[in-house]
Amino acid sequence: MDNSGKEKEAVALMTEAEKKVKSSQSFFGSLFGGSSKMEDACDLYGRAANMFKMAKNWSAAGNAFSQAALLHLQMQSKHDAATNFIDAGNAFKKSDPQEAINCLNRAIEIYTDMGRFTIAAKHHVTIAEVYETELVDIDKAIAHYEQAADYYKGEESTSSANKCLLKVATYAAQLEQYPKAIEIYEQVATHAMDSTLLKYSAKDYFFKAALCHFCVDMLNAKLALQKYEEMFPAFSDSRECKLVKKLLDAFEEQNVDAYTDAVKEYDTISRLDQWLTTMLLRIKKTIQEDESDLR
Amino acid sequence: MSAYPKSHNPFADDDDEEDSGRAAPRRGFNFDDDPEESSLSPAERRQRQLQQEVMRTAQSAVDSSHRSLGLIYESEKVGAETAEELIRQGEALKRTERMIDNMEQDMRTSQRHINTIKSVWGGMVNYFKGKPEPPKPAQKDQPVSYEANSRLQNALVESKQQEDKYQASHPNLRKLDTSGFGASASLDNGPPDQNGYPKNKQLQAAHHQLDNNLDEMSLGLGRLKNLGLGLQSEIDDQDVSLDSLLNKVDSMDGKISSTNRQLKNLK
Repeated sequence: MDNSGKEKEAVALMTEAEKKVKSSQSFFGSLFGGSSKMEDACDLYGRAANMFKMAKNWSAAGNAFSQAALLHLQMQSKHDAATNFIDAGNAFKKSDPQEAINCLNRAIEIYTDMGRFTIAAKHHVTIAEVYETELVDIDKAIAHYEQAADYYKGEESTSSANKCLLKVATYAAQLEQYPKAIEIYEQVATHAMDSTLLKYSAKDYFFKAALCHFCVDMLNAKLALQKYEEMFPAFSDSRECKLVKKLLDAFEEQNVDAYTDAVKEYDTISRLDQWLTTMLLRIKKTIQEDESDLR
Repeated sequence: MSAYPKSHNPFADDDDEEDSGRAAPRRGFNFDDDPEESSLSPAERRQRQLQQEVMRTAQSAVDSSHRSLGLIYESEKVGAETAEELIRQGEALKRTERMIDNMEQDMRTSQRHINTIKSVWGGMVNYFKGKPEPPKPAQKDQPVSYEANSRLQNALVESKQQEDKYQASHPNLRKLDTSGFGASASLDNGPPDQNGYPKNKQLQAAHHQLDNNLDEMSLGLGRLKNLGLGLQSEIDDQDVSLDSLLNKVDSMDGKISSTNRQLKNLK
């Protein structure tokens, strides 16, 4: 592919578009159908941006899209402006994450203004993902996920809301914000219990909630476990429930070996993932600390 | 020695081996006998070999059942995640349908306006046609809560009942009762209701574990079946919704292009 040729073309289109914009702002331009000139300019910016994308020059593409979006804003076509901001955000994702987040934020403002909360929520999730992976700012990621969940709830998309809330809970528990995590897990689990399809994952959420309780305090965990068993009888049959009971016993006896054995036994059948391992290790450390205190 | 022919079951025999290489204290029930501790006869050696063989097989059976159990749980997890995704998709479909209905409403309004603009006659026609029908209330109610197909609730209850009946009736699931095995007078300990487990303690433990695992596997498979059925009915529902959505979108497309043409002509 003739990428460099495309780039040159794209740059040419950009300059043409800029000229159009300038001319439309001049006196004569605004007399003689300035708006159509603006539309043409937007068009040209769009085409230039696409060419930059073909040439893989993501920052330039992002810039072109942002310019197009700003023009649309001037022409009061919010919808087009928002779409262009989203395109700009996607292009910037590959080169400059911070700029991408800026564009996406502006798009979200426009969408919430128009009342399109579902789409705004979707983009909050995108931003949160960028914070998760590229910019690694977990707090901001959590904030965006929460915002997305709120919007989804407002639009009665409970499953999408739950998906975001679960991510919030995972990170909250990792950051030791246990009450928040517990609340979310319990909420999602209670909701899942009632649905015919979702109830297969309910036990998982109760398990995680119980572990978070455990990290805070063992007594909490016991009470919580009883509560969950009452609410959801099928939970008592699950291996997760049996594991938590064994862990509680091991904790009472301050027996680290029993604890490790129980965990290992569970692991032989279902592998423990990263999050679970972290939480279980934390609990184990509290046992060991107590033991050393007694010595 | 044992009162039983060797071919019946080597482990019922009271073969004591002085050889402590074998960790299994297999002599659990054989207090009476003290066979010669001198060199093992070839038959006894053979017997020991067979015993080791059986232990190995039992152990590998237990391991394999562990693995199967793990796989079942994994499938269940995957199924549960799929279910969540499906439900979310279903919600999105319903939302889309709602939005298309709104769009249709708006298109009708704009069509009226265009008619008015096009000509005076058109405006009068509009006046007589009256307002466009309000959106059907049913559509508005849908977003309240998206419920997955509820046929599964019944299926779940039924299958649980089935399972209990099945277990009671199926011959293999009844505790094994190999007669002529444990009821000998010479072997006094072990109450006869060992349920057909071999006397060897270790083997007994292995078989016990195997039975437990098999029970869990059957429960797990039952759950998987229900999950699968639930997924299937959910997908069927969504299929229907997708078809209707497709039709609506197609007609919407036509309307939009005709409206565009009309607007261009108006200019």
